[in-house]
Amino acid sequence: MLRILRAFAWMRWRVLMNSLERTGARDTVERLSLAIEQIGPIIALALLLPSAIGLAGLGTYAGYWLPGPDRVVVFDALRVLLLIASGFCVLGPLLMPSMERTNTVRLLLLPIPRRTLYVAHAASAFGDPWVLLAVAAVTGVSAGLLLAGAVVAAALALLAGASIVMALVGLTTLCASLLHLVFRDRRRGELLALIFILVVPILGLLPSVMGPQSQTREERRAERQARAERRARGEESRNERGIRIALRAYGFLPSELYVRTTREAAHGEHRTAVASLAGLGLSAGILHAFGILSFSGLLRSPGSSARRQAARTTWFDRGRIPGVSRATMAVARAQLCLTLRTPRGRSMLLSPLLVFGMFAILLRRNAGVFDAGFATLSNGLGLATVSAGTCLLAILPFAVNQFAIDRTGLTLVLLSPLGRRELLVGKAIANGVLVSASTLFCAAASWMLLPGGHPALWINLLLAVAATYALAAPGVAALSAVFPRPVDLNSIGRGSNAHGAANLLGLLLFAAASVPSILVTLVATGLLRRPVLAPILMLGWFGICWLSSGVLFEAAALVFDRRRENLGLQR
Amino acid sequence: MDGIDLAVPTGSFFGFLGPNGAGKSTTIKCLTGLLRPSSGTMRILGLDPLADAVAVKRRIGVVPEDLALFDRLTALETLTFVAEVHGLDRTIARDRATDLLQLMDLESAGSTLVTDFSHGMRKKLSLAAALLPAPRLLFLDEPFEGIDAVASRQIKDLLQSFVARGGTIFLTSHILEIVERLSTHIGVIAGGRLVAQGPIEELRAGASGASSLEELFITLVGGDTRAPVALDWI
Repeated sequence: MLRILRAFAWMRWRVLMNSLERTGARDTVERLSLAIEQIGPIIALALLLPSAIGLAGLGTYAGYWLPGPDRVVVFDALRVLLLIASGFCVLGPLLMPSMERTNTVRLLLLPIPRRTLYVAHAASAFGDPWVLLAVAAVTGVSAGLLLAGAVVAAALALLAGASIVMALVGLTTLCASLLHLVFRDRRRGELLALIFILVVPILGLLPSVMGPQSQTREERRAERQARAERRARGEESRNERGIRIALRAYGFLPSELYVRTTREAAHGEHRTAVASLAGLGLSAGILHAFGILSFSGLLRSPGSSARRQAARTTWFDRGRIPGVSRATMAVARAQLCLTLRTPRGRSMLLSPLLVFGMFAILLRRNAGVFDAGFATLSNGLGLATVSAGTCLLAILPFAVNQFAIDRTGLTLVLLSPLGRRELLVGKAIANGVLVSASTLFCAAASWMLLPGGHPALWINLLLAVAATYALAAPGVAALSAVFPRPVDLNSIGRGSNAHGAANLLGLLLFAAASVPSILVTLVATGLLRRPVLAPILMLGWFGICWLSSGVLFEAAALVFDRRRENLGLQR
Repeated sequence: MDGIDLAVPTGSFFGFLGPNGAGKSTTIKCLTGLLRPSSGTMRILGLDPLADAVAVKRRIGVVPEDLALFDRLTALETLTFVAEVHGLDRTIARDRATDLLQLMDLESAGSTLVTDFSHGMRKKLSLAAALLPAPRLLFLDEPFEGIDAVASRQIKDLLQSFVARGGTIFLTSHILEIVERLSTHIGVIAGGRLVAQGPIEELRAGASGASSLEELFITLVGGDTRAPVALDWI
């Protein structure tokens, strides 16, 4: 078994090193693009060793002072770190497909017993940075206890450390296997991916939406008093009961069991420490038992499946924009299909609507005013403006990677009798249609929910979005040509993201392109104090942007032409 | 690639052969405009593919090695896309698409996304997309790989009738029997260099009467000089 584990470890090490060393770049620009992509992992790798040493040091410090009567803040920090590591064990396999560790079909072809396969599969979790850091921290704590002369406590802490690491490994293995089981059915996987992409960014706003409506100071005081009275009577509300149950369940998390074992052992309560340690060992065992079950399920039927997906084709050759060639429209339609038929693409349309919905609820609950700290949203026009900005930014992952997302489809495009301008404009039209659809919906819904504001300013907003997009579109096309990144648009995390540099520069580009529109609006409303003039001035600015984009698209087409070989060969 | 001096007669069925990694696909990529050669000149149907790229692409059809398909389009949408970028009349395009899907046995999969296709189905669709605009020259990179026997037979017949009507085919394949049966001319590339080209019979006669294309090919690429490796441990 050891030989097999060593072979797996060597294979993973070589895969990592080869991905950093042998990029297969064709020229300097591609080498630069790939180097920027690898900066993150290289920095993370470089920081891993000092971080581990630092954490081991902190662990030793915490362990040394833990037998004393005072509260050790560093130990509390390590407790949080272990909790975060547990979170990463769940999210890691989901968000970082590059860390995918199970190609079960390939593994099944090897003459390895399934038991050993599970061990090899689980052992790969030791390569996760959060597990490595957890190992350093818990080892440090045991060393600290030993230095403080608490030998039994050190031994118990060491056992607890081994158990929590095994629990983290079990959790990672279980989550990775479950994820594969879910994603094995492509349709189910796509649905889950879409839900996840949409839900995660919204979670941050949930407390504000679900929380109580804004109250006066008197109302808050009365509520506090009522709560205290209920507590005095020994009653508790449904919320309080929920919190109490959640806190009790939280106490059974492996990270909490580790903290309890170590703390009790350090304070000489060895019997209770052993009980906590047994609980921790049991939780690690349960996680591995479920891990083995799910991994066995995966091995029994490792192939992916999906009902063949049919799609409506009636609209594909219909609809024209005056002055736009059929070839350009075909490119735009292909791009729209790609967007509307992948989870990441659908999220581009749906996430701005979700953000709009959240802000709309906040505004309705707070009598039309939402104070975000740095800015206050006080009417429908403000809501529409925020939503329009979200709509523009939502298309960024596609807009700044508009060629690479086609994958082999781009070869079909490059083999077709298409002018380079037709291709670029086609892509820009598709992205523009998406921005327009979501912006128009959000603006109309904002106006219906919270009418008010000068009608001219509503028109001004739509023109401002159009001007910003027209000005930025050629730039994002050029960024897509220089920084392409092959992506899997069914993926949830990093796998579907555009190139980091393209994303950042694209964001700055959109921000810069919106500045003149903001200034035009401020001049009309602030300086001239004539809101009615805003759409007229903005129309003029839109005209300038439209004409400029014609010239800028020529420049972007030149950039594309220089990079077409690299784009055509990138997969 | 180095020193490729290739001439493909119009109306010929040209088999382009070579060992793995010899440069067959790279040659096709250069000829179809996916790669720009560092030096040299090319003429395709009398046009310069670098200077008149769009004009050349209007006249050629390509089945590249990676099949060049949009994953998220259906078979019918893929063909519609090709028809639209070639500016074909919509009624004609629809009729041709129906014929091609029928020929490739993809009628029932017309509204299925390409991502759900098997490798063989993708290959057939890629071939259908290449044929749809009725090109005068076809570049086919391993077109029979992964295709079932029935479809393979139909495609071979179709390609032969395409050549009989004056079309030209530039085909790479490792299945030498197919090349031998279909091709009128062959070119052989090894290590990035063209080692032979011309009508099959002439080349066979030149290679002291090789009895089959396989024998001729092995002689040309120097396969017969390689010392045999005996894997006694098998």
